[in-house]
Amino acid sequence: MRIGLDIELKDTPGQLVRALEPVSRLGGNIISIVHIREELTKKGRVPVHLTIDIENDGALERIIKELGERDIWVSKVGEVKKKERMKVILIGHVVDTDLRDTIDRLNEIPGILVADMALSMPNPQQETSALMDIEVSRPEKAKKAISELERIARDKGLAVIKSLGV
Amino acid sequence: MRINLIGFGVIGKGFARALVRKRTWLREKYGFQPEVVSISDVTGTVVSEGGLDLEKTLSSVERTGRVIDCPGAEEMTGLEAIREVDADLVVEVTPTNVDTGEPGLSHMLTAMEAGKHVVTSNKGPLALEFKRLTETAKKNGVHLKFEASAGGAMPLINLANEILSGDEILSIKGILNGTTNYILTRMTKEGTGFESTLREAQELGIAETDPTYDISGSDTAAKLVILTNAIMGKNTTYRDVKIEGINRITPEAIALAKEDGYVIKLVGTVENGELEVAPKLVPMNHPLNVDGTLNVATFQTDLAGEITIVGTGAGAMETNSAILSDILSIFRNSRG
Repeated sequence: MRIGLDIELKDTPGQLVRALEPVSRLGGNIISIVHIREELTKKGRVPVHLTIDIENDGALERIIKELGERDIWVSKVGEVKKKERMKVILIGHVVDTDLRDTIDRLNEIPGILVADMALSMPNPQQETSALMDIEVSRPEKAKKAISELERIARDKGLAVIKSLGV
Repeated sequence: MRINLIGFGVIGKGFARALVRKRTWLREKYGFQPEVVSISDVTGTVVSEGGLDLEKTLSSVERTGRVIDCPGAEEMTGLEAIREVDADLVVEVTPTNVDTGEPGLSHMLTAMEAGKHVVTSNKGPLALEFKRLTETAKKNGVHLKFEASAGGAMPLINLANEILSGDEILSIKGILNGTTNYILTRMTKEGTGFESTLREAQELGIAETDPTYDISGSDTAAKLVILTNAIMGKNTTYRDVKIEGINRITPEAIALAKEDGYVIKLVGTVENGELEVAPKLVPMNHPLNVDGTLNVATFQTDLAGEITIVGTGAGAMETNSAILSDILSIFRNSRG
């Protein structure tokens, strides 16, 4: 699982290395470190945001415990949900059949977000092709997004090309 | 082994040619000496109780295109030949029909009821009446084999049912139609439109004059039904498949997919009991991304993981590789 950790370090040299050592020793894989020296907390500490991948809760608890023993404060711990991405192509009069409405109908479903879109319009008379990048919070949501897209496509006379596997 | 050959088009003639070409090899390797005792097409039947001279029959049919013009041919239908001409096995390779299954369906049922084994490449009857056909075979104690009906030369059914018989096949995904794969491959490589690429494929003889059956996804759907029933032990029919063809694919859609690392392929899938044929976005580095007229199928199995097989899906000789392998398997089984 992926974990986000907000920690606070003493403003003295070498603190960041001291904080990272137990993370990697206990099997955590460090994904990112955001370290802003200029923005000290009210208590004069340096806030750092870590994102790590870790096997299980047990390892996480040990990391937090060790950080505490080293006088590194953990102010926030939370699981970071990994977002799934799914590509879909729509073919037809994608723009003329109210593209805004198509996107809204998808975005209204909890856990589904149209994150990006590329359009290719050869000329106004011909059909438009659109590549849609849809973000889903869980893999099951992909099915939901597809069935809503297929409903929209039926209403608007569009063809849908799904990704392999959904 | 005595054989009634029903259907003498591209596949039927290919069968006769394969037997001529491999006669000595089949005898020396397996002790197998097949005799074709009748050949029927829609015009008539030529019979020889002692076994036809296949080379002569081939060359006389080459001239006029009709079996009835062969010396000694009779106005006997295929169905009558199955009933009246003594044989052990019927090779049924008449043109397929996914609406009624005829005439293949009657040919197969009649043959099995008369105690004859059936080997076929004919998809229609299997996609419509799979259960009835397999039950008729069982009831009459004969074999019904149809490797050639789905995936041409790719040994999909035998691979799953014989070699992978300890595995459960959880899903099947495949490109099962060479014509549509050729069209989509050309559109991807050349950036051309659907209509002009289809015309090019017709000029090359890759697409039929009436290409509807291929481009609408019907052909892929019929094959998917056969694979699902034969490999996963289901009883689905052609009408259970959600089908979408390739005629609306634009060069712009292909280009957008390409920029993002995908190709568009017409894929047949069976997964969680749902059968679907539709154009899909396939990652460029995925094993299903095969080009030209090639076919491919991936089985997801419980023990072996994913197994993918690539091969030629159509063609006279390729299809007859599967027909001959089915006949040999019956020959070996019946010898005990």
